Amino acid sequence: MANSKLYKGSLTTIILKLLNESDKMYGYEITQKVKEITKGELKITEGALYPALHKLEADGLLEVEMKKVDNRLRKYYKLTEKGNKETVNKLNELQEYIKTMQILVNPKFGLE
Amino acid sequence: MKKLTREEIKYIDNYLIKSKVKYWDVRVELLDHIASAVEEKIEKEGISFNEALLEVHQSFGNSTEVYGIYHGKLLKEGLYADNNGFKKFERQKQRSIGRKLRKAHWQELKNLMFTPKFLLEFTAFGIISYYGFNFYPKVSSTLVLGLLMLPLFFSALHSIKDKVSKRSLNITMSSGIIMLAWSLYNMVFQLFVMLNKDQDNKPYYILFITAILLYPIMRSSTNTYFKYYNKYKNIFSKLTN
Repeated sequence: MANSKLYKGSLTTIILKLLNESDKMYGYEITQKVKEITKGELKITEGALYPALHKLEADGLLEVEMKKVDNRLRKYYKLTEKGNKETVNKLNELQEYIKTMQILVNPKFGLE
Repeated sequence: MKKLTREEIKYIDNYLIKSKVKYWDVRVELLDHIASAVEEKIEKEGISFNEALLEVHQSFGNSTEVYGIYHGKLLKEGLYADNNGFKKFERQKQRSIGRKLRKAHWQELKNLMFTPKFLLEFTAFGIISYYGFNFYPKVSSTLVLGLLMLPLFFSALHSIKDKVSKRSLNITMSSGIIMLAWSLYNMVFQLFVMLNKDQDNKPYYILFITAILLYPIMRSSTNTYFKYYNKYKNIFSKLTN
């Protein structure tokens, strides 16, 4: 990742958001999609992606579907109903965080 | 997009086996990611299969150095120099499977307790064992112990004979749920033995109470195990077809 420490806390939100926009995705596809959207600015490493995916699956936010593709099995992830609700919550949380950070980084001084 | 041949896929699978990723259900996920990344590297960067595989090997956090000597350019030496990234991947997967299993077991237990069919079965088990322990204590004890040990027997048999279970992390860990239930049964039994001073006059009484109390847990752990077993057996059949 470009600045892994800053992005780390938002990784699950990024994954949930991507899965919310498409029916199902597999691990490698997620890394490539993030790279494409951010024009290479953000690169999710394998070491960060899979722990996050497995945790989301264990928490019941993602469900898994296995399909045979190109001589191998592919594990597709998709959002569960609980996952859909959590995506909305996480996105709201992230937006609030961004707003707060903007206030902190760009404080507007003035006479009130 | 260039697609890898069956032989190249087999090569990656063997490389994962040699890198000590022994469980097939762990390898499946790694294999698809590695193959997809190799395909893309060959296509976009114009590098060879070997070079692409070495780069992907490193991207999982595996080093290509041995004792400080760089082996990156030598495929075989670099590829098998270190497997720490895969070890970490497997450890993390174990943790998430454990978490998922605990949740699935707890959910199974809650569901069972609200299922009329199970409640009927539980009541029947209670009544039959009560009369059995009163009139034929020795036979009943043997039967009840045998019944409670049946899931252990099946999971042990699967792990010995069945190649699906033998090398599946999910199935191996789900059989641990049965072991856990059996350990709990033994613990409660020993606790009752310690607390009951009159045990010499009622040798089968403790066994009966423990069996009744822990029957739902034994049943839910068995159900959870078989659900996992069937699920992964189904995935394995997709893999081999």
